Amino acid sequence: MNKGIPLQEALAAYRPDSDPGQVSPMTDADSLLSEFHPDHLRGSVVKLSVGVNSGDSCQRDLASLLQTEAFIDEADLAGVPVIDADVLVIGGGGAGCAAALMAAEQGAKVLLATKLRLGDSNTVMAEGGIQAAIEPDDSIQKHIQDTLRGGHHAGNPSLVASMAEDGPDVLRWLINLGMQFELTPSGDLQTRRAGGMSASRLVYCRDYTGLEMMRVLREAVFQHRSIEVWEQSPAVELLSNEFGLKCAGAVLMSLADGQKRIVRTRSVILATGGLGRLHLNGFPTSNHLGATGDGLVLAYRIGAKLTELDSFQYHPTGLVYPSHLSGKLVTEGVRAAGALLINGKGQRFVDELQPRDIVCASILRECQEGRGIRIDDERKGVWLDTPRLENSQPGLLERQFPNLMSRTRGSGLDPRTQPLLVHPTLHYQNGGVIINSKGATTVPGLFAIGEAAGGIHGRNRIMGNALLEIICFGRRAGIAAAAAAKRDRGPKKVTLEHINQLRRALTLAGMPLSRRAPEILPSYARGGLWSR
Amino acid sequence: MEPMNPKTTLVLLHPDQRVGANMQRWRQLGGGKAIILAVRSPAAILEQVKQAELRGLGGSGFPAWKKWEAVAAETPKPDKYLVVNGNEDEPGTFKDRLLLEETPHQVIEGAVTTALAVGANRVVFYVNPDLSRSLAAMRIALEQWKSSDLVELASTALGRPLELLLAPGSGHYIGGEETAAMEWIEGRFPFPRGKPPYPAQSGIKGCPTLINNVETLAYVSHIAVHGAQWFRDLGKAPGLGTKLYSLSGDVLHPGVYELPKGTSLRELIFDHGGGLLSGKPLKAVFTGGPSSTLLTPADLDVALDFESLKARGSNLGTGAMIVVSEGTGIVKRVAEYERFFAHSSCGQCTSCKTGTATISRLLDRIDTGRGTMSDLNTLKNLCAMLPGSGRCHLVNGAAMLLDSAFGHFNDEFVQAVAKSGRS
Repeated sequence: MNKGIPLQEALAAYRPDSDPGQVSPMTDADSLLSEFHPDHLRGSVVKLSVGVNSGDSCQRDLASLLQTEAFIDEADLAGVPVIDADVLVIGGGGAGCAAALMAAEQGAKVLLATKLRLGDSNTVMAEGGIQAAIEPDDSIQKHIQDTLRGGHHAGNPSLVASMAEDGPDVLRWLINLGMQFELTPSGDLQTRRAGGMSASRLVYCRDYTGLEMMRVLREAVFQHRSIEVWEQSPAVELLSNEFGLKCAGAVLMSLADGQKRIVRTRSVILATGGLGRLHLNGFPTSNHLGATGDGLVLAYRIGAKLTELDSFQYHPTGLVYPSHLSGKLVTEGVRAAGALLINGKGQRFVDELQPRDIVCASILRECQEGRGIRIDDERKGVWLDTPRLENSQPGLLERQFPNLMSRTRGSGLDPRTQPLLVHPTLHYQNGGVIINSKGATTVPGLFAIGEAAGGIHGRNRIMGNALLEIICFGRRAGIAAAAAAKRDRGPKKVTLEHINQLRRALTLAGMPLSRRAPEILPSYARGGLWSR
Repeated sequence: MEPMNPKTTLVLLHPDQRVGANMQRWRQLGGGKAIILAVRSPAAILEQVKQAELRGLGGSGFPAWKKWEAVAAETPKPDKYLVVNGNEDEPGTFKDRLLLEETPHQVIEGAVTTALAVGANRVVFYVNPDLSRSLAAMRIALEQWKSSDLVELASTALGRPLELLLAPGSGHYIGGEETAAMEWIEGRFPFPRGKPPYPAQSGIKGCPTLINNVETLAYVSHIAVHGAQWFRDLGKAPGLGTKLYSLSGDVLHPGVYELPKGTSLRELIFDHGGGLLSGKPLKAVFTGGPSSTLLTPADLDVALDFESLKARGSNLGTGAMIVVSEGTGIVKRVAEYERFFAHSSCGQCTSCKTGTATISRLLDRIDTGRGTMSDLNTLKNLCAMLPGSGRCHLVNGAAMLLDSAFGHFNDEFVQAVAKSGRS
C-alpha cells in the first residue's frame, strides 16, 4: 500500500501557475461511488438482527453499538433524585438550543442537558453557511429539488419541503436573535453558490457561520428564565412508561462526579448530534469530542425506527497535515470561492463543486490509484490549491476565511503560498431517527432533531442544509413537544421496561452482552469514572 | 407465547381445550361429558372433588370442597348462586385471562358441573372489565351455551332454569375479594363485607353463594370425568394435580406454564422460563404476585405447592412468579407494589387506608433519595402494627411484602437512605 507520491517530492514539483488541465464531465457517478465511497467498502455493512430495524442494512461499527447491553441497571436507580420538567432537551448544540427556546416560548418548563458544555457541538464547526431560498432567481421548489437530488432521492420529500419552506423564516428568526451575516454593499444578505446548488443560496458569516449562530443561541438560552441548563450531564438511558412503549424521561449522569439523576418529563427531545468520534471504517473525523452517537442508541432501544444507517458523509477536505489538526475541516467555502483540487501529478481530477460524496470518492480514487500524495501508510491526500486562489483573487483568503488562516498559521503553514494536503474525513451521519415534520419519532413522547434525526438528506447532504435543518426542526420540535407536554398528564411510572425487552431480544438473538452503550466519550478520551 | 414441555401432562391448557369460543369444535373434541355425569349424580362430583383435595387457586388455597359442602347443605333462599371469580388484577398474574380467552367452554363446563353439584341455579361469571378479549370470548361462548342442550339438561336436573350471567367487574383490585365481588354484583361499590355471615350462608341478596376462582372451577370437569385419583397423580407429592404458573419478570420466556403442582422453582425458571435475562444471577422471586413474601436463591429448590411454600413462610397464592435478577433494585420494586396496594385500598378500614398510603409515601421518598433512617424505622413499625387490622387481606399483603423485603434486603434500604445523606 505504498502507492503515492512522497510529500516532499510533490511539494517540490508543485507550481501554483502550472496548467492543471480540464476535467472530463462526470460519466458514471454510480460506479465511482460504489467503487470508492467508504459506504460501499466491502464488509462495512451488516444486517441488524435485534430491534425495530431488524433486517435493515447498517454500518458495522454502528450495528455493534446499537445491539448492546444498557449502561445502567434498574438497581443503579435506587435512591436517585427525581426531577420533573415539561420538556427535556438532550444536547446543547444548535438544534437543542432552538428547540429549548421555542418550547420555553410556549410556556413549558424546559431542562436542557448537555454532555459537555452548552455549545460544545458540531454546530460551531459549521463554517460554510446556511441555505435559504431568498434570491430573486431562486425558489423554494429549487431548494427542494437540489436537496432531494443531492441525497440521491432517498430523502423524505415532505421533510425536505418543510425545511425549504422554513428557510427564509429561519433567517429572520436568527437575525432577530442578533446573528450577523455577510451583507452586500447595499445591505442585502450576501449569498453564494456551493456544491449541488442550482442557485446562489448560501448565506454565511465569514468562515464561522455556525460559531456565530451558536453565540446568539447560547446567549438566548442562558437568558431565558424558563430554561434550566445542566452542563456535563450526558443522558445514559431514556425512561419509558410501564409497558416500555412511551418515552417518559431520561437518566442523566454527571461527568463531574458520576451522580445520576432521573428526569421525569412528558416530552423528550433528542438533539445529541452525530457519531464521528466512533471513527467508522477507521476514518479521521471533523466532529467534536462528544459526537459518539448516543442519541441513536437511546432512541433505538426505546423502539424508535431509524433510517439510512449505512450512509455517512465524508467531507472531501479534511486536513491531513499537521497531525494535530488531522480530520479538521477546510470549509467547502474555499472550493466555492474557486480553489481547485489537484493530485500529486498536478492535475485536476474532479469538478470541485460536485456533491460531497462524488468529490470524496474521487479523492479516494486518486489516492488508491497512486496519484495521491503520501506521508506514510496511514496518511495520504491530495492538494487543495489555495495559492492559486490567492493569486487569482489576492487577499481573499485573509478576508473571507480568517478561521482557516489563524488555524494554519498557528502550525506554521501558510495557505497563501503552500497548498493544503486534504483527505476525506468522517463528517456527517446522513441517516438517523425517523421523524415527521414536527420532529416526532415513532415513539410517543420522543422527538429527535438535528444530526440525530434522519430522512431529510437522503444518502448525501449538500452544504448549508445542516444549519438550516437544526434550526428548522429544532423550532418545530420545540413547539410540538411543548404542546404534547400540555396535553399529557405525565407518566404514571417511569421504568426501564424497554431495557428488559431489549435484553430479552438480545439474549434470544445470541448477541454478546459484554459491551455497554452509549459510549458517552470516545475510548481514547475516557478516564476516571468513565473508564470501562 | 408459552413453549410447552412435551413431558408435562396438560389438563387446562391441552390443545383440545384451547379452541376459543367454538362450541361445536369443543364438543367434537370431547367437551361436555362432565355435565352428563353431574346430571346423573351430583353427589358423586362433590365426593370426587373432596377426594381430589382441590384447593382454591385464586390465592387463598382454601380447600374448595369445604365451601361446596356448606353451600350444598343450604336450602335456596329462593336462589342459590355460584360466582366464577375472574377479577384477576394482581400484578404478575395472567392465568385466568388465558383460560377465559382461549378455553371459555372449559370454564363454563366446570362452572355448570359445580352448579349441579351444589344445587346452584344462578351462575355469575364475574370478569375483570379490562380483559376485553376474555369478556368477548365469554360473551360468545355463553350465547352458544344458552341455546345448547347442555343447559336444558342441567335445568331439568336442577328442577328449575339454570341461568348463566356475565358480569363485568368493577376494575378494582379489591373487587376480587369474595364479599366485595358480591357487593358489586348486587350493584354497590365493591367494599369487602365483614364476616361472618359467610357467603355460603348469606351471599348475593342473602342467598347461599359459592365463589371460586376461574382456574379452580376449570379443573372440576376434568376431575369429574377422570376421577380424583387421576388428578392427584398428576402432581409431584405432596402437590396434587397440575397448576398454572404465571411466570414474568427478568426471565427469557415469560408466560403461563401448566406444570405438576410441586414442581421446583428452579425447574420453572430455568427449564421452562429459559433462565434469566442476560444470564444474570437470580436475586429474588415475588411469589403469588406481590401480596406475599419473597423467595431468594436459597429457595430455588423449593417445591411450588401450598404446603412447601407455607413451610418457607411464603405462599403460592395465584401461582404468579415475578422473577427479579441481580441489577434490579428491590427498593424500587417494593415501592411500586406498595403504591399498587395504596391505590387499591378501598378506604373502608382506616388502618388500611392510611397504612398503605403511608408505606407507599415513605418508600417513594426512600427510593427517590429523600429518605431518612426514621422513615425506615416507621416502616418497620408499620409492618408490625398493620397485619390483621382490616376486614380483608389487602393490608396484610402490603405489610407482609414489606416485612419480607426488610428480612432479605435490609441492606438495600439502608443504602438508599445513606445515599440521600439525610440519615
